[in-house]
Parts: sequence; C-alpha cells; structure tokens
Amino acid sequence: MNKPILLSRSNIILFIIVLALVAFPFVMDSRTLTILVTQILIFGILAMSYDILLGYTGIVSFGHAMFFGIGAYCTAIMLSDFESTIGVFIVSIIVGMLIAGILSFIVGLLTLRLKSHFFAMLTMAISGLLLVVAEKWRSVTKGNDGFTFKAPEVFKDRVIFYLVVLALLVIVFIVLKRFVSSPLGRVLIAVRENEQRTKSLGFKTLYYKVIASVVAGVIAALAGSLYAVSLRFVNTSVLTMEITLDALLMTIIGGVGTLIGPLVGSVVIESAQHYLSGLARDFPIFERWIIFFGIIYILAVIFFPKGIVGTIQTKYSQWKIKRNQLDVAPLSKSKESSK
Amino acid sequence: MDLIISLVINGLATGMLIFLLASGLTLIFGLMHVLNFAHGGLFVWGAYAGVFSYAYSGSFIVGIIVAILTGLVFGFITEKLIITPVYGNLVQQILITLGFMLVLQEMIKVVFGPNVVAVKVPELLAGSWQLGDIIIIKYRIFIIFFGFIIFGLLHYMLTRTKIGLIVRAGVMNSDMVQALGINIKRIFLVVFMTGSALAALAGMLFAPYSGAIYAELGMEFAIMAFIVVVIGGMGSFQGSLFAAILVGLAGSFMAYYVPYLSLAVNMIIMVVVLIFRPQGLFTTAKG
Repeated sequence: MNKPILLSRSNIILFIIVLALVAFPFVMDSRTLTILVTQILIFGILAMSYDILLGYTGIVSFGHAMFFGIGAYCTAIMLSDFESTIGVFIVSIIVGMLIAGILSFIVGLLTLRLKSHFFAMLTMAISGLLLVVAEKWRSVTKGNDGFTFKAPEVFKDRVIFYLVVLALLVIVFIVLKRFVSSPLGRVLIAVRENEQRTKSLGFKTLYYKVIASVVAGVIAALAGSLYAVSLRFVNTSVLTMEITLDALLMTIIGGVGTLIGPLVGSVVIESAQHYLSGLARDFPIFERWIIFFGIIYILAVIFFPKGIVGTIQTKYSQWKIKRNQLDVAPLSKSKESSK
Repeated sequence: MDLIISLVINGLATGMLIFLLASGLTLIFGLMHVLNFAHGGLFVWGAYAGVFSYAYSGSFIVGIIVAILTGLVFGFITEKLIITPVYGNLVQQILITLGFMLVLQEMIKVVFGPNVVAVKVPELLAGSWQLGDIIIIKYRIFIIFFGFIIFGLLHYMLTRTKIGLIVRAGVMNSDMVQALGINIKRIFLVVFMTGSALAALAGMLFAPYSGAIYAELGMEFAIMAFIVVVIGGMGSFQGSLFAAILVGLAGSFMAYYVPYLSLAVNMIIMVVVLIFRPQGLFTTAKG
C-alpha cells in the first residue's frame, strides 16, 4: 500500500514500453514504419480523449471529429498564413485547444442536459453543421479539395516529429491519468455508473459532464493539430463522422474506461487498416476491410464489452482472487476435518 | 405561383419518403427505446434489391415486392442478431447498430458492386403533366399518393386493430403491457420488421425519384429520418408525418431560395427543437 506509486509493476512495464518506443526509430530505419507508428500515436491521443467521454463519463458523442478538425484547421491555416516555424506551430496548437475548449464548453452546456440518445444525435447534428460550414467557407478552408502547407523546418526529419508526438502522448497520458484518478474523475465515474444517484448525493452532474467534455475536446484538438502536421495537408475529411467512428472503434476494441485500452485499440486498428488495405492487391475482398471491422466491432460489443484491455484486467483480477482462494482453501478444510 | 406549387410538390414527395423511413424508426424507439442506427442500411438494401430485381424482371411491382421482402428478412435478422443481445443498454445499442450500419453499407458494395447505379422511372409513371405553366412530374405525385396510402393503412392498423392497440399501449407504458400478459418482445419483433420493410420500401421508391443510388445513401437518409423523429417526438406516429413534411418542404424551399443553407436547415431545425423542446413537437409518450 505504501509502495511509491512510480514503482508499481504496471508503471514499470509502461516505462519499458515508452523506452522501447523511443529507441524504435533508431533501431528500425524504415520511413513507412515510422510514419505508421506516428499515426498510431496521434490517433492514440484522440482515442484517449474519447475515452474520457465514453469510458469514464459514459456519454456517447458523435461530434468528436469537430474538435479534432478545429485543431487540424487551426494549425494548417496558421502555418500556411504565417511563417512555418516552431513558434507558430506551438501557438497554433494553443489557439486550437482554446477554440476547441470554448466550443466544447458551449456545446456541452447546451446538449449535456439531454438524455444519452438525444445527446448523441445532437452532437452528430452540430458536427454535421460544422462540416457544412467548412465545405462552404472555401476562402478559408478550400473546401473538400483542401490545401497543403509547409511544416516547420525541424519536422522535415520524421524521427524528430515522431519523438515530439511520443512525448506529447506520454504527457497527455499522465495528465489524463491524474485527471481520472482525481476526486473530480471519481465523480465522473459515479455519473457513468448511476447519474440519478450521483445527483441525489448532491453533485451537479451537468457541471461535471461539461468539464469532461471540455477536457476531451481540448485533447482532441491537440491530436488534430499533430495530424495536420503529419500529413502537411488538410481538407474537410478531418471533420467527418469517420474520424469520430475511428476514435469510437479504437476505444471499444481496446477497452473503455482504461486509458491504456484506446492506445491498444489505436495500434490494432491503424495497423490492421495499413496491412489489410495492403492485402487488397492480392485478395480483392480486403478492399472492403471495413466489413471485417464492423463484424469484429459488433462481436466486441456483444461478447467483450470491456475490450481487449478490460477483458485482460478482469481475467487477471479473477485469477488473483482464485489464487488467494486456493491459498485459503486448505486451511478451511483442515478446520472442517478437525471438527 | 407555379414555382411555389412545384416546390411544394418536391417537398411533399421528399417528405413522404422520409416519413416512410421515420415512421418505423419512431415506433421502434417508442416501443422498446431502441435507437436503430442501422435503419439507413435497410433503406439502401431495399433500394438495391428492388432496383436489381426490377431491372431483371422488368416489372416495377416485382421490384417493390422484393424490396419489402428484403426489408422483412433483414428486419428479422437485425432484431434477433443485433438488438436482442443488448436490450436495455442504451449506449451499447447505439454502438452496435452503428457497427451493423457499417457492415450493411459495405456489404452493398460487395454484393452489388461499388458503383453508382442508374435507375429509370417505370414507363407508366414517367413523364409529366402540364397544367398551364405548371409542369407536374408524375412520379412525384405517385410518391405523394403512395405515402398517404401507407400512412392511412398504418393509421388504420394503429387505431382500429388489436395489434395497433397493443403497440400504442406499449409506447405509453411497455412494462404495464407486459404485466397484462402480452409478450411485448414478440410485438416488438413485428413492429421492427414492419419498420424495416417500410424503410426498404422507401429506398425502392426513392431510387427512380433520384435516378441514381449508391451505398452511402443510407447514412444520409438515416440522419434525415433521425432529425424527423426528434422533431416529431420519439414514439409519435402522427408527429413523424408532420415533421417529415416540414423537413421536406423546408429542404425544397431552402434549396431554391438560399441554396447554401439547404444542407444545414434541417440540422438547425433539429438543434432548435432539441434545445427548447427536447421531447419533440407532437410527443405523446413520456419524456
């Protein structure tokens, strides 16, 4: 119990994984692989932010792409209009996060008082509206054609960008971990478990839900900014439902309410997407890899509602209990026999 | 004047198609609180199955029948395979039906090919009438009539037959109906299959109306139908007719007068309705 938290077993494992990830681009000198892993990490950030909503607060949002898109557009527009330096990049990330924060605050206040299915549809509608605005506002966004821009000079080296993304991911992970284990995060979990009860215990649940949605929105904007820089291109596809669905799939398949789960989900989905669409050359059926996703996803919702990480965690704790029982069992038996 | 009349006819025809889609959705929701995101998938399946059998047999009626049968079969499969395992869990229902929607949409591309399919209006309904300066396209009138006939039939079934009585009672309080010894789940299956058949029928009717069908159509129309269900009030059958006509008319007038707003107008209506009257305009069920 009094063990320093930093040295717990799971944290040591995480630390080793991070070290391996840092070493990875120097060991494997493959450009495509570095880009793929960068992509995985960026979507990992997005999926983690979605987990705050779905996993910890228990609300299904279909509008998460709008925050991601705002981040992407902020960075893209600022980098193409001003000089493309590191300074502008950092400022653009902060501006994107601010706008996303304000927007998610307003949207949250308006929508979170509704029940879950109304909320889901309303977020879908608002993010649809934003998509329409982006399509029509061609002078700024260039619509569906999108535009390319120069990334800061330093990021020409893919490895450096990869390391920056990795560092941000670690920071986001630690911050979110602290956030969900704070008293505030505990209230969010209570809202997920039983909102009525939490309300009757005297918590203003709307207030807590809005905080969760602001945090998730801000982090999603960060992921969007990184995504835009990694592609050096942006178009309206960053605002579409598909981004939200990706985040949703990653969170569900990885494991809701675990934070690690969405990262695992991001690894699974991004690499599957990469390799399955590669297979399409030999087997035409793989051009429709979304079908496999859909099926796996449905099966996951029915049979593994906790996802990969959640299932492992449950199995592990069951095994632990069983082991403890085995330790105790002979004792109780001997008591019986002595009677 | 002639302009307004043709815009009204346009709007009514679109509204009727959305109504066919939304009426099933609203009853499914009202009865079992199931939000079926896969409804749009049934719409496209109806369209594709109907159009292909229409092209194969050369008879529009065969196409309609095949579409309805497809809807019934898919409705049965969906209810048994997808909805039953997650009864009562709202979040999981949203997630799983969304996943099934993806599967349905991609399956279309596997079975019928990924290309846009062109559809011709059947000969009997092709062409238009000319009244003075007004040109009235026959097929649109046909859709409007067809829609009203379906509305009449459903209305009759809901208000005059025993199963309709059970369905209406179920929308008001399903636990009570169950307690009175009626297997509400079986009723729900029937409603679900009917709703799916209506969606498939809407798809089939839509195909010659637009002239072309493609797999992503389902999602677009499903969103429209959701908007209608929300505006009309979840579980309200008449509400969905009014809301569908409202959305159809708003869409067709906006497309003419303020084209850049036409995509957004329905979303705006829905946002306003949800914020100020979250239970919908015509709701009868509990909120």
